Amino acid sequence: MAQITVEEIRRLNYERPLIEKGYANQTLQINLSDSAVVVKPVTEKMKEVFVGGKGFDLWLLWHAVKGTTKWNDPENALCIASGPLGGTSIYPGSGKSLVTSISATTGSVIDSNVGGYFGPYLKFSGFDALEIMGKTKVPSIVFIDGIERRVQILEVAGLPDEAHEITEILTDWFGQGKPRNISVVSTGPGARHTLIGCLNFSWYDLQRSRTRLKQAGRGGIGTVFADKGLRAIVARWDTVTISTNHPADEIALKKVARLHSREIMEQDPKQNHMSSVGTAHLVTIMNDYDLLPVHNYRYGQHDDAPSMGEDVYRRLFDKGFDGCWIGCTLACAHGVRDFVPTSGPYKGKRVFVDGPEYETIAGCGSNLGIFDPLFVVEMNFYCDAYGLDSISVGTSIAFCMECFEMGLISKKETGGIDLFFGNKESALELLHQMARGEGFGKVVGQGVRRMKTIFAEDYGADRALLGDIGMEAKGLEFSEYMSKESLAQQGGYGLALKGPQHDEAWLIFLDMVHNFIPTFEQKAEALHWFPLFRTWFGLCGLCKLPWNDVTPADNKQTKEPAKVMQHVDWYAQYFSAVTGAQVGPDDLIAMSERVYTFQRVFCVKMGFGRREHDAIPYRAMGPVTLEEYESRRERYDTQLREVYGIDIEGKDTAEKVRLLRRLREERYEQLKDAVYARRGWTRDGIPTVATVKRLGIDFPEVLEVLKAHGVE
Amino acid sequence: MVRVDGRELEWHEGMTVADLLRGLADLYPYAVVRIDGRVVTAPEFDKAPVPDNAEVSLLHLIAGG
Repeated sequence: MAQITVEEIRRLNYERPLIEKGYANQTLQINLSDSAVVVKPVTEKMKEVFVGGKGFDLWLLWHAVKGTTKWNDPENALCIASGPLGGTSIYPGSGKSLVTSISATTGSVIDSNVGGYFGPYLKFSGFDALEIMGKTKVPSIVFIDGIERRVQILEVAGLPDEAHEITEILTDWFGQGKPRNISVVSTGPGARHTLIGCLNFSWYDLQRSRTRLKQAGRGGIGTVFADKGLRAIVARWDTVTISTNHPADEIALKKVARLHSREIMEQDPKQNHMSSVGTAHLVTIMNDYDLLPVHNYRYGQHDDAPSMGEDVYRRLFDKGFDGCWIGCTLACAHGVRDFVPTSGPYKGKRVFVDGPEYETIAGCGSNLGIFDPLFVVEMNFYCDAYGLDSISVGTSIAFCMECFEMGLISKKETGGIDLFFGNKESALELLHQMARGEGFGKVVGQGVRRMKTIFAEDYGADRALLGDIGMEAKGLEFSEYMSKESLAQQGGYGLALKGPQHDEAWLIFLDMVHNFIPTFEQKAEALHWFPLFRTWFGLCGLCKLPWNDVTPADNKQTKEPAKVMQHVDWYAQYFSAVTGAQVGPDDLIAMSERVYTFQRVFCVKMGFGRREHDAIPYRAMGPVTLEEYESRRERYDTQLREVYGIDIEGKDTAEKVRLLRRLREERYEQLKDAVYARRGWTRDGIPTVATVKRLGIDFPEVLEVLKAHGVE
Repeated sequence: MVRVDGRELEWHEGMTVADLLRGLADLYPYAVVRIDGRVVTAPEFDKAPVPDNAEVSLLHLIAGG
């Protein structure tokens, strides 16, 4: 293990408050530019309006940045928070950290949620949220020691570059023989050399005696972290019990936690097998329904996809408990032990790989035309070690491969790399180049939006075609689901505040498979309720998976099975038991609506958040190429005839592609109208004054932003 | 005999998932079932066999990531 040296730059000794009903009631602000460390109070108003978690992050970030702030300006803040329910040790999925910043790829507000112990340890150390501002030229660590009640900014030397090694070393260094007490936030060299860097959050796996990692992936949050000169943030805390979060009603909490935990233990082995295979169970299901992205989202299915299905990963995953927080019975954070990479700096060495999950399997596997489960494990390992978002890596390389196959770029631009779909060695070489900031990998690491500009302006590629097949919106790469046949999911991606990530709304089965929401109004209602309920988890420090990746045995007999209202009701009880505020399911939605709408106004403040920014590439809506149309000709012909009433007799494929495109693009615009109306926004997608007043977020600075954009 | 979410049902030679679902008198549009732990999706229901003594779980909801 590498030898490191640390030297104190600044220390703050503080009084640690007792946690009261899930809140520490203060936040921590650190400015790396002048080494200032400030403890700020949390007001009752802040709790009432923003609840916690992402809500607190957004409020802190709003005050930190101006509308003109760029991601790499010193005033950009990186905010990390738990939430009032975060750190509960008996309720499944209660250890999430929420991270927000101004994104390196979108230029607007980004948020990401992540497992590991950091958020709870931060809160129990006395801080509901952490706000890191400024920049330092000195490689630095922030150490938050809740046991010794001190915050330190430390200069560090001798740390290795890769995230898993940084984590191991700092866990050992700060753990004082108790590694379980440490959680580390770090990134790797890829974050320094690209715009798609991720953060790794750790916990210590007692059973395996090793550190484990989960990722806050989206929007280049790791790149912001690296740009600030940070090497790591470390939190130290002691034993966690049900009392540590000081719930208002411990008996009620135990009762509802027992119900949910028991149900997961009974139903998960019959349903999705999350505790044994995690989200890998989705691969073959998505493939069978033509929803698994293949060849840069051209197609949704491939005969070789089962070779990366749950049966394969069940064998590869190391057996044992894989909860990324204490007491989680879903325990889906699986990993591969003793994996030996075939390339790069760890070639031939045994490593532990945390993952892969569905998104990495689809993004770095099928979407690249590669169906080798061990290749995906290697991509997963290096993405984490280098601090790179495996979704953006996969979607960006897939885009390059399609451009290469179409002749839009050639070996001249790729530096001699053959980028045909299915080329494993080339994909790995690009990943290593991204980490080193060299060659064509440096270009790929800029993400799809910037690549489109580079390919058009520097390489002379067809800009319109690049726009159709480059799978990004708002500057963020799409996550790994096909949305062509689900208008609601097109909205789920395109209307998501931060960009096309499915954590706001995943409506494909509800819409496409079951056809439960056939009208625009029903889709708009779904695009209101689901993003709001999913937002609520991020306010509280929770994982959404226990909500609907396992369901009660009698759920299908309920009025709206997709909402899993039994669980929603349990979550209301959970919130009441911890905070003491007596709430029902509708109150949870109301909490989210305030924060969600505020985030949209925040996007407007940053120069985004309008109708034009909710555009998606046509590849997300329908077939771009003749080959795509022909591959599902019966489906598209039938739609043109039966849904749109068009006589297609005598029309060639090119004409049918144009007709279908016009109709689908019109439908997407109609969907925007319906969703904006349901959300109380203008036709330009901006929340109205009446809406912000109804929600109680009509602060003068909010009204100012609206006024500046013509909304009074 | 097969067990469907704990309920015992008669089995017959050549039984497919589609046959089994028809026999349930349950109109819910299942998209995925597990037969002895193995995933079978609706596009395969007509041809996927259900062996005697199978344990069947009906998954009514697929929720995504």
